[in-house]
Amino acid sequence: MQLQRIILHIDMNAFFASVEQQSNPELRGKPIAVIGAAKRTVITTCSYEARAFGVKTGMNSWEARQKCPQLIFVVGNNRKYTYTSTQIIRIMREYTPMVEVFSIDEAFLDVTGSLSLFGSPQRIAQLIKERIRADFGLTCSVGIAPNKLLAKLASDMQKPDGLTVIEPHEVPRVLERVPIKDLCGIGPKLQQQLGKFGIKSCGELGRFPVEVLKRTFGVVGEKLHLMGLGIDQTPVVPEEESEEVKSVGHSTTLDKDISEREEMLRHLLQLSEMVGRRARRYQVAGKTVSLTIRYADFTTFSRQQSRTTATNNSDEIYRAAVKLLDTLELTQPVRLLGVKIGNLTQHAEQLPLFGDDRKKALLASAMDDVNNRFGEFSVTFGTLLGKDGGAKVISPAWRPEGVRNVDVE
Amino acid sequence: MQAIAERVKVAAIFAPGTRMQPVWFEWRRRKHAVTELSYFWTDHCGDATRLHFAVSDGSNVFELSYNLQDQNWTLEGVVEPHP
Repeated sequence: MQLQRIILHIDMNAFFASVEQQSNPELRGKPIAVIGAAKRTVITTCSYEARAFGVKTGMNSWEARQKCPQLIFVVGNNRKYTYTSTQIIRIMREYTPMVEVFSIDEAFLDVTGSLSLFGSPQRIAQLIKERIRADFGLTCSVGIAPNKLLAKLASDMQKPDGLTVIEPHEVPRVLERVPIKDLCGIGPKLQQQLGKFGIKSCGELGRFPVEVLKRTFGVVGEKLHLMGLGIDQTPVVPEEESEEVKSVGHSTTLDKDISEREEMLRHLLQLSEMVGRRARRYQVAGKTVSLTIRYADFTTFSRQQSRTTATNNSDEIYRAAVKLLDTLELTQPVRLLGVKIGNLTQHAEQLPLFGDDRKKALLASAMDDVNNRFGEFSVTFGTLLGKDGGAKVISPAWRPEGVRNVDVE
Repeated sequence: MQAIAERVKVAAIFAPGTRMQPVWFEWRRRKHAVTELSYFWTDHCGDATRLHFAVSDGSNVFELSYNLQDQNWTLEGVVEPHP
């Protein structure tokens, strides 16, 4: 007989804002918004005090100030957040090795096998909450349920500092009136499409004929039906068991929209170096180079080119990206640029045997050694001198270890 | 936070079983007694690990960092009180 799984979803409450309120006692109890250091930036997170005024993640500072004139803006410190997240994940791993980091402030834990050591799932949740509060002064909301879908739903039910349990026998009653938009994976578009069938709650979704859902949404239809019933078989996958990364990429939203080719090239070189450096560190190389462009009106598109050999050399990545740029006729100023390598080869540490390729690899290796010792961009391409280097934003794909562990400024 | 990035003289306590704790620092010929250590984190600059401390002297919040490699303290910045 299969053991009933017990899953915890732990969600840090207003994570970046709470860290800032702990760092600076004067900010505690006040409406604050964390913003990026870049000139053109939006609110990354805001405190619960700010949320009470209608301030939301993603608002620009002008909009937020309209909602809450006394709002305090704090420039975020990404390294403080990645350190805190890494330590919190370490705490979680003391209670189960089955920890899946979902984002910098969220994780799933499968505690099915830990109950004999620590007691009930509620006790595990309380112990973790106490440790996080004692070590960092931070609160989190925990959802306990038989699967990831319901655990995430449960953690959203009480914020901040909540602990919500959905027992297996309670699932139909709990889901009956829950709006479908509260389920992880049902975005505004899907919500609208389901709304056309008169489906607004999970109860309605679960009862709706699965055949109609399948005809309309294909394979997703079956999944939607199961979601409506609160069924989710997806396992908690710890980092070491997760699939190998499929690409390594970096993108940057520019301080201002640009049209000058020279300026774009400088950004592409910097992004290519960041991609190449991370790929070399984790010994992967890519056969496909992609360039992503976002126009001022947010139209976004990518172009890619395949190579005969895999590369993690920054210069080669840059040249491929420039070649892609030159195939385009840009119709608007550019807001965002991104460079990515895909179709990855793992363990790509072999040094080329001959000529220029060998020289290039040795040069990259020498530059890496200097940067490993003295910090990123200590030695770099002349074109990039005087420019700020490195990632400024924590990507949703950030993880505490492995190739997804992007070092942030 | 207003960036300072100046090397400073710091007195710290190393007690068994706890992490080191700055107790006062001198900046611009003034001695600031640390009344609260509100946050701690670490980062890396190249192969050097840096310990960061958000501390208060009762009036302002400061960020001090200690570089484990060269064993120097830096006053990274100061947060002035909000009106």
